[in-house]
Amino acid sequence: MSEIKVNFILNGRATTYVGEPRTTLLRALRAHGVTSVKRGCEEGECGTCTVLVDGVPMKSCMMLLPEVEGKSVITSEGLVGSNGELHPIQKAFIEEGAIQCGFCTPGMIMSVYALLNENPDPSDEDIKEALSGNLCRCTGYVSIIRAVKKAAAMMRE
Amino acid sequence: MKQTVTNSGVGKWVTRMYDAEKAAGTLKFVDDLEFGPSLLYAKAVRSAVPHGEIISIDKAEALKVSGVKEVIVGEDFPYRFGLYLKDRSPMAIKKVRYIGEPVALVVAESEEAAEEGALKVSVKYKELEAVFDPVKAATDNSVLVHPELGSYEHVDFITPQPGTNIANWFRVRRGDIDKAFKEADYIFEEAVTYPQIAHGFLEPHCCVCVQDPVSQEITIWTAGQSVFTTRDIIADALGLPLSKIRVIAPPIGGGFGGKAGMTIEALCLAAATHPNLKGRPIKLFISREEVMLSSWVRQGYVARIRMAVNKEGKILGIKNTFYFDTGISAEYGANPVRSAGYTSTGCYYIPNVWTDSYAVYTNKPFGGAYRGFGMPEFMSALEMAMDIVAHKMGMDPVEFRLKNLLKPGLPTCTGMPMHNHALETIVKKVAEGISINKEEPAKRNGWKRGKGIALAIKAPAMPADAASSATVEILGDGSVKVLAASMDMGQGVYTSFAQIASEELGIPIEKIKCYYPDTQSHPYDWQTVASRSCWSMGMALKLACEDARNQLIQLYSEYWQCDPSEITIEHGVVKCRKLGKAEPIDTKIQNGFKMPDGKYKGGPIIGRGHFVPPDVIYPDIETGQSPKSVVHFTVGAVGVDLEVDPHTGEIVVNKVVCGYDLGKAISPLNVRGQIEGGTVQGISAGIMEGMYYDDKGLLLTPSFTDYKIATIKDIPDEIQYFWEETPEEISPYGNRGVGEHSMISPAPAIGNALFNALKVRIHSYPFTRERVYKAIKQFDEKGNVDFWEYPFAREQDYKQAIKSWD
Ligand code: FES
Ligand code: FES
Repeated sequence: MSEIKVNFILNGRATTYVGEPRTTLLRALRAHGVTSVKRGCEEGECGTCTVLVDGVPMKSCMMLLPEVEGKSVITSEGLVGSNGELHPIQKAFIEEGAIQCGFCTPGMIMSVYALLNENPDPSDEDIKEALSGNLCRCTGYVSIIRAVKKAAAMMRE
Repeated sequence: MKQTVTNSGVGKWVTRMYDAEKAAGTLKFVDDLEFGPSLLYAKAVRSAVPHGEIISIDKAEALKVSGVKEVIVGEDFPYRFGLYLKDRSPMAIKKVRYIGEPVALVVAESEEAAEEGALKVSVKYKELEAVFDPVKAATDNSVLVHPELGSYEHVDFITPQPGTNIANWFRVRRGDIDKAFKEADYIFEEAVTYPQIAHGFLEPHCCVCVQDPVSQEITIWTAGQSVFTTRDIIADALGLPLSKIRVIAPPIGGGFGGKAGMTIEALCLAAATHPNLKGRPIKLFISREEVMLSSWVRQGYVARIRMAVNKEGKILGIKNTFYFDTGISAEYGANPVRSAGYTSTGCYYIPNVWTDSYAVYTNKPFGGAYRGFGMPEFMSALEMAMDIVAHKMGMDPVEFRLKNLLKPGLPTCTGMPMHNHALETIVKKVAEGISINKEEPAKRNGWKRGKGIALAIKAPAMPADAASSATVEILGDGSVKVLAASMDMGQGVYTSFAQIASEELGIPIEKIKCYYPDTQSHPYDWQTVASRSCWSMGMALKLACEDARNQLIQLYSEYWQCDPSEITIEHGVVKCRKLGKAEPIDTKIQNGFKMPDGKYKGGPIIGRGHFVPPDVIYPDIETGQSPKSVVHFTVGAVGVDLEVDPHTGEIVVNKVVCGYDLGKAISPLNVRGQIEGGTVQGISAGIMEGMYYDDKGLLLTPSFTDYKIATIKDIPDEIQYFWEETPEEISPYGNRGVGEHSMISPAPAIGNALFNALKVRIHSYPFTRERVYKAIKQFDEKGNVDFWEYPFAREQDYKQAIKSWD
């Protein structure tokens, strides 16, 4: 299959990927070493591949690479400061024990990031609504809710 | 006097290892590793019929796809593998036994080409009659899933029955069962079913294999819980020395038993060892649908429990029949069958016991290890039966349980005396926590509220000789390298290990690192299963740390010319208070100490420890009796307060209260994580999970859309947890395992709470909306309290199934 060029902003940097038009955004990112986006199902069901596209959380397995032409894509790696400093959401996840195997974590954190951008002080119900597309089999979500609240408080300060 | 001081030792609330990388997404799982352009991709072609002879496999069209290198079939790799029973070949040879079984493997330059190639392989079958119902398979031999069963190798403690579909038959014969039933004032007979369920870990199976064409050495990177067992199973089947197989397990995205033993590695090896492909790394990543179709499941379960009880509410005898639906392979699934068997009186003392626990082959995906290992299945039956009996006798369900409790010193069903525990305290606390006897109005309009309790018990179910070993190296700057080949699959075992090392070495946790397992670097450990790591590997690791500490102290005492007892290690600083000396650990520790006589002594300090349970004896094959059948039991209880909408059957759990006696919490943050996570996994299993098939054996639930697992919206409003610490005798810190236990009893507690709410008893798990609704309807229309649905066969209803057992 012929290949095409796609220009987009990845974690704040202008980027060009070359790939087949049938390639999903998930596979394209992973092929370029952006492996925080995980493939838990490639069917749009689990949320491990969640990225932000122009600020909106999207399942990257459900998008084709050409769809991000000219757009901004943010992944969990992109939340880390240049000196390795973690984002408050990432820190809160660690402090609250909201990570176990970590396979759902980057995608989950992207959904939290999108939520807190819109809603700096979410209720339990808001959190559940925003994260209902991200499965986690390990934590039982209880610690994740704690972490989101802690992160929200940290970010409001 | 304790010679070490640290703030991050055993029992401290510290944050977890590797979490920063996990949060950032930089931690590499197998699928994230780079292997360069020589990497090839494999994709399986899977059987479309449940039972049939393979007439032909046409590879021609697949080989025409650009990028496809090879199409491999079963005969190319004719080896049988298995942990306890060698009944599984990675690809079907001549015959397929379930829909989803690999029949060919397409290997290509890209994943897409392999996927396209796999679609173009065409296979012709001659269909054979299949069997899907475990009771039918066990009691009627007209269809044999493995006619060759008699020729399969197996370990001594497994008893396959050639000429039948019974892959293992575990028995308990204790006391005089007939007499117990003769003398009973009441006899109860109850039955329960549970369909197969899936692990639902979020990382699908993935592995990469390569074989060196000259040395023939094999390297495997795999998402696995058991590097050494994988190595040993493969070496045994291929006839290679252990030293020629290297298994590396990078971090894994959840296991829950589903990545224990050997899973997809042999399938990938079929490509890696192929003469045309040797030398090139081959990657096998299986899709979510393939995970659901072809990897371990928790076995389906049918139980009949008969209880003989006297007027005072004492259980005199129990007669159990368990059919575990193990699908087409019992290579691992033979063992949960034993686990349920040798724990078949649960948390109770019952003097007369007769148990038959069977692993039954059917033409379905195969059963294996899943968190709880036979106990969630069995306790779902027993704890419901206990509740039924209590209600029928007009006794309080909590009192009935306490009256029959397996108190310390009383024999279990295998004759082993029960060790100390705080179960009575736990049960009382849990009952109080949900105010079990207080009738409360539902919070939701028109809903009904109910409360229920269920007890939990489980021993590590493993061979008597499941061993562990560890090494601890103190590095030249006082940091520590721990090689303990347990797999941290999210449960946080490396944090626990670092806390143990910190405790024993007086070195802060920030300086301690545990590495993911690699058979090349790490000393042996059996597997990361059975909630055994903090206990078994904990023993080995503690010894290794003691060994390293003693070496360090000996060297310092000679160096400083003081008594070893005068030396302490405090937060990484070695001190002799008497001489006023204090120095951080430095390069002397690896290069040697210049002693007062000017000569050097020492060299790198490496501590070493190993452990095998010292006193376990396999239960007798005929009677199941043994002076010590298992290392120990972790016990606990779960209380559920829920409400249910009678118009839709929807259940919402208001509150869960649970407690476990884990001996000692080494890493409390992780204990909390295990309890919270396992509780929700147990609720999910109890309310929504089940694998269902059509009449032809086609899985109807191959995705997360059809196979629902709990989302964040399905969790209880509140989970209250606690633990007791009754120390275990043979244990590094008195600790017992707790990783699996939280998943065992939420489901039966929900079932019992449902009865409390609706006065309807649903004997078939899970309690889906549809089923709850149907049960309510049946009660309203016919007044039937008991509701059954038999998930294994449409043509056979549950009661008929029961009748045919006699
Ligand atoms: S991988 Fe995209 S939703 Fe699961
Ligand atoms: S931490 Fe394992 S799936 Fe969420």
